[in-house]
Amino acid sequence: MNERIGDFRELSRGGARVSLVFYSGGFPVRWSQCSATAEYFAEYFADVHARAGADESARNDFSGTLSYIVNELVENAVKFSRGDSVEVTVSIEGDELVALVTNQILAVTVDGLVEKFSGLVAGDPQDLLIARVEANAVNPDSAVSGLGFLTMMADYGATLGWFFAPVEDNPRNVLLKTMARLQMRNQ
Amino acid sequence: MSDASIKGPGYRVGFDAETATVHFEGTLRLGTAEYEPIAALLGGVLAARPPAITLRMTELVFLNSSGINTLYKFVIAIRKLGDVAVHVEASSTITWQGKSLPNLRKFLPSITLTMS
Repeated sequence: MNERIGDFRELSRGGARVSLVFYSGGFPVRWSQCSATAEYFAEYFADVHARAGADESARNDFSGTLSYIVNELVENAVKFSRGDSVEVTVSIEGDELVALVTNQILAVTVDGLVEKFSGLVAGDPQDLLIARVEANAVNPDSAVSGLGFLTMMADYGATLGWFFAPVEDNPRNVLLKTMARLQMRNQ
Repeated sequence: MSDASIKGPGYRVGFDAETATVHFEGTLRLGTAEYEPIAALLGGVLAARPPAITLRMTELVFLNSSGINTLYKFVIAIRKLGDVAVHVEASSTITWQGKSLPNLRKFLPSITLTMS
């Protein structure tokens, strides 16, 4: 099984990139660590714009956007990860900033996720966001907000893609790669 | 409702009764269930049926999507009451606020938003 949804493309060779891999062991990853990871990438890449002569507000905007996107991707990965590691990569490819998170999930959840992700890329992000918030408001017991991907698309203009692949030595798990792409000139 | 406050690592949400203002401060990146105490504080503010409230966001540096959901749900609850004027003070230098706070008007068109 190799399934691709939305705008998923392998990272090009030779682009500037940084990767972090968490091996959590028995230690549960806390939300504050997702935030710290996002801040690390935001700081590391903050001067990408400065090199192009951007002003302070553009630098802030770029860092804030990268921080939001990476935090949401890592929170998701940590929440649903069933493997021993989560890998986070941020790369610059031409005018695009690419954030990629790789983790394993339970194979039995794949069908539901394929349906969910397909729905996200098929509709208008603004409309989907509004509908989701209104639905959440009448369903107070919902354990997940479902707004992470929708806000990335609707509020930040990110394009998203997903790739599912088998895990060789563990048929109960599936490898999931989640990618967000941002046009840097729009940030 | 009298003054109330919730503090956690790196954040504070507090209600100032005298000015009918909810202050949001720091970094709010919590899990969905962890927002329940904050949602309860906001619900308490509404239970007193104030004619107007201010949401002061200018010191809230980060808010994750679960927190955005909590905020949007609060505004929808206000819309259902029908007679509470809401003003939001935001900062143009904090990225998430410029990206996500304008959506508040889609849930409550009467809301006023200032970006300083």
